[in-house]
Amino acid sequence: MTKDKILQAPDMNVSAEERAAGGRKSISKEQVTKYLPYITLFSLVALISLYDPAFLKLENLLQTAQDISTLFIMALGMTFVIYIAGIDLSSQSVASMTTVIVALLLPSFGIGAALAAVIIGAVFGMASGLVHTRFKIASFIATLAVGGIAYATGQVVSGQRSTYMPADLREQSMGWMVGNTAGIPHEIFVALALLLIALFIERRTVFGRSLKAVGSGELAAVASGLKVTKIKVMTFALSGAFAAMAGVMLATRLSGGSPTMADQFLLPAIVAVLVGGTPLTGGVGGVLNTLIGALIVAVIRTSMTYLEVPAEAQQIFFGVVLIAAIALTIDRSKVKVVK
Amino acid sequence: MSKVLSKEFLQRWAPLIVLFSLCIIVSIINPNFLSVRNFARLATSSAAPLMLAIGVTFIIIMGSIDLSMEGVMAFCGASLAVVMLQFNSFVEWGFLAIPVAIVFGVAIGFVNGLIHVKLKIPSFLVSLGIGFSCIGLTMVMTGGVRVSASDKAFRLLLTERFFGFPLMVYVAFAALLLAYFIQKKTALGRNLYAIGGGEELAHASGVKVERVRIIAFALAGAFYALGAMFAVAQIGSVASNLGTGFMFVSITSVVVGGTALMGGIGGVWQTLVGVLIVAVISNGMVLVGLPTYIQEGVLGVLVILAVALATNRKAIQLVK
Amino acid sequence: MLEFKKVEKTFPGVRALKGIDFEIKRGEIVGLVGENGAGKSTLMKVIYGAYQHDGGEVLINGTPVVFRNPRDAMENGIGMVFQEQSLITNLTVMENIFLGFEAQFMKFGIINWRKMAQAACEQLKKVKLDVDPYTTTSELSFTQRQLVELAKVLTLEERVEGDLVILLDEPTSVLPRKEIELLFDLVRELRSRASFVFVSHRMDEVIELSDRIYVMKDGEVVDVVDSDGCDVDAIQHKMVGREIDKRYYREDKKHPYQQNKVLVETRNLGKEGEFSDVSLKLRAGEVLALVGTEGCGTEGVIRSIFGLDKPTAGELYLNGEPVRAFSAFNGVRSGVGYIPRERKIEGIVGGMSVVENMTLANMQDYSTWGVFKSGVERELAEQWVSKLSIKTATIDTHCGNLSGGNQQKVVLSKWRSAGAKIILLDHPTRGLDIGAKEDVYDMVREMCDDGCGVILIADTLEEALGLAHTIAVFKDGEIQKWFESGGDHQPDQYDLLHYMI
Repeated sequence: MTKDKILQAPDMNVSAEERAAGGRKSISKEQVTKYLPYITLFSLVALISLYDPAFLKLENLLQTAQDISTLFIMALGMTFVIYIAGIDLSSQSVASMTTVIVALLLPSFGIGAALAAVIIGAVFGMASGLVHTRFKIASFIATLAVGGIAYATGQVVSGQRSTYMPADLREQSMGWMVGNTAGIPHEIFVALALLLIALFIERRTVFGRSLKAVGSGELAAVASGLKVTKIKVMTFALSGAFAAMAGVMLATRLSGGSPTMADQFLLPAIVAVLVGGTPLTGGVGGVLNTLIGALIVAVIRTSMTYLEVPAEAQQIFFGVVLIAAIALTIDRSKVKVVK
Repeated sequence: MSKVLSKEFLQRWAPLIVLFSLCIIVSIINPNFLSVRNFARLATSSAAPLMLAIGVTFIIIMGSIDLSMEGVMAFCGASLAVVMLQFNSFVEWGFLAIPVAIVFGVAIGFVNGLIHVKLKIPSFLVSLGIGFSCIGLTMVMTGGVRVSASDKAFRLLLTERFFGFPLMVYVAFAALLLAYFIQKKTALGRNLYAIGGGEELAHASGVKVERVRIIAFALAGAFYALGAMFAVAQIGSVASNLGTGFMFVSITSVVVGGTALMGGIGGVWQTLVGVLIVAVISNGMVLVGLPTYIQEGVLGVLVILAVALATNRKAIQLVK
Repeated sequence: MLEFKKVEKTFPGVRALKGIDFEIKRGEIVGLVGENGAGKSTLMKVIYGAYQHDGGEVLINGTPVVFRNPRDAMENGIGMVFQEQSLITNLTVMENIFLGFEAQFMKFGIINWRKMAQAACEQLKKVKLDVDPYTTTSELSFTQRQLVELAKVLTLEERVEGDLVILLDEPTSVLPRKEIELLFDLVRELRSRASFVFVSHRMDEVIELSDRIYVMKDGEVVDVVDSDGCDVDAIQHKMVGREIDKRYYREDKKHPYQQNKVLVETRNLGKEGEFSDVSLKLRAGEVLALVGTEGCGTEGVIRSIFGLDKPTAGELYLNGEPVRAFSAFNGVRSGVGYIPRERKIEGIVGGMSVVENMTLANMQDYSTWGVFKSGVERELAEQWVSKLSIKTATIDTHCGNLSGGNQQKVVLSKWRSAGAKIILLDHPTRGLDIGAKEDVYDMVREMCDDGCGVILIADTLEEALGLAHTIAVFKDGEIQKWFESGGDHQPDQYDLLHYMI
């Protein structure tokens, strides 16, 4: 506190004016960053369809969308956390854990297994949030630690083995999730339904508004009487729930669970959020941006397959894209000291 | 004042007390714990994590974090093995690949620090991205297959024993001393603490913060490479998953040892204690008969406890 | 040796230094006094290189210089002892003393600790501080740290050719009397090695220590007096000295408050290290101004009333109800509204629109089951925009893009629309232009007419006198004196200042 004071120096009026002036100048840049995700998506699509026009075939597009649905759902939850300027590194562990849980519970609870999995995911998210806010531990460490616990839970519950869903039970309780209607895979419907719910939360609810306030001006939110701690915990819980939904869908698609099933998900999910235009500094962007971001990730993946880049080597690319996306979107005026 | 002292005292000695209590508990449950054989096993398995933890200690002292170690370790390990094969084909001195791997580690760390500082991106994300990229690079380099590292001189690290402990334990200890030397005796080491204690104040006093940060990441990279070397020596071969799990273990060790994530406090000796705590826990779990795979969960709880104890919550306004 | 000639410093919209003439001779101790915002700290910053002047000349021994940064100034023999200390607490004393200048003790990149410790002892001797240079700084007392800071600045002696100028920024503000005397003795002794600029709001101390005193007001040096035989009163009059324009503060709209309707009451409220024994009452329609120097505890008082800070002693009653749980949430629910000093940080959310900011404190009023009712909040926002004539393109414009005055109006309407009856204003006109200030004064009067009570920490004494019904003068965290405005004894700025310092 005292340290901050010297560093910020007096003359608040001066710096305020300067900042206001700076703000006005960057409007044009703001607009560029706003449309950058769309431009990126369309140029990528254009490029790849030049390379292979077959990409634009409806069934191919649907396939691409279907493949990205699971990741997209996880990224939706992640969006809320990044929107309040936090991060959730536990998502993939939570998702992996829920694949195991849902596969194990399916025989006894049917569709209830999915519900239970989502609740457990939310509980883990809530734990992250509580650790983060109560102990004042940076969110990436809190979620890393809780992620470790989730990972171990998955290992213990599964006994380190893959678990399988009995085919008939899977069909009966979860079949609706992976079917086809009029040639459109149901995963897309599920993902879109969740997107609508997330969009509703973001745009129309008091909670969504609170997220925006916390993300773009946490201290002002506190000083307006918002219960910021509670909001943060709920956000992490929401992220956990979405990660769990991703896990349920993954388990259903692959007819079983394994404690490492979602291991490759974390990075692309973060990339999807950031590339979509929700910067790490929070307050800007949203779930619709994440849709664009996820589509960009999908197109990149598909094009890599076209270019015959092996799956694991794609990681190189995602690492680079991650850094580039942060570099382009981060609001540097918000971070004084970068650690 | 006395209250402050007692808290500081506790924070300073708690890790050591925990380590000894753990040792006592485990040895009561299973007396085999107290054998030279077991200690050698413990020390050998700690060599690689110790190097990684030392590397990231430098970064954490600055108040930053580095999550790239798994990737860097895999990449350095793989290049070690691949280069060793190349060398072995015309000279017998495969171990000459070691400096090559260290140079790679330094280079990656340098890039890491450069991006972090110049593009002003939080270190945890830069390093996360770099780490993933490195795993990808490793896959490409190894073609997804396991590469064996069977140079004779290199294998001496594990096979040659003095007083029951393999050579690598001594090498690791030497590296620890080197790290301590850097921390204590060089301007670089002291500047790390200055940055962790008050970056803007340090900057105002003329510390070249950006340069120090970049060098610190490069230094960390060198230690990751050493860690890779020990891990490869232990296993005898490399695959792209060489580093898997090490990120968590190393960060946990640093934090549990008493180096504060906020920066400015702690050091490599604390990290040694932290590494030993983690090693005793996992060693103990085996001796006690618990499955090792719950280790990650135990470590997760440990991190939360350690950080929660070490954080001065009143001093922090905003955490993100 | 150090001389300022017609030095100017302009920030966007503010001329902070207006043709300053300033001179320090060798071995001299120069005092610098002025009200908050008179330009003292800007002048200091120009001297030690944190700001660069944009007009006039800065001369050292007759040669014009420009310091690009503090390090530049240091190399010219100018050092600063900060009020809020600038030592890095996890480093040892000697490391702090030589931070950034370790090279002299290094060989091949290795630090010779023994050599550094010896050198540090030399420096510590200069300030007569007997501590082990290997001590970690956090273990020292506040006074000891201040001396270490001074020792750090004194290393310039060995490093720089020529004379030293050392700036002391409020070095005594937290020291007990005995230690102040030690510090003063030390400074007097050190004048054989350096000149000093001494900034303080304690007039008696400035007179005691300095040879000459510069009095600043509104970015100008209004007088230079010799401390021998000078008069505290005369200086204080020069620091303020201005007539209050009654129309400017809407005196005509000032109405008596409702004696028996108490909105806020504190009984012996205290918070460790900030304020103590504060008992006050705020009644409906009243403007209560809390005045005092920077850091005298007034900010802590209103933050406690709002619930952002938790007092450690005494009781607080809002609308007659005792407050047990201190949180901003509870404050808002009890009808308290807080307009913070740091408008851009705690006042508005820059990335949110006007309408979103306005409803932030009472979103539940515009929603059912947590879902916003469409239109209701927009309607309200439109109303307030026209009522307060807020200049904004649309109600969906980001608040960050509004001017300071309009942002302040948005914050005010946030609390008014939330139904707040207790309004806490912390420097509400800071950084606003005159027109916007007048708008804020208008709003204060209107709120009083609506039965609100206002607690004001004013930007200037003038403002406090112009607006308030009642004034409480704070010093060192305690209320020194109460004044009633509008009675037989209309207080003036000098009366207030007298009890402040």
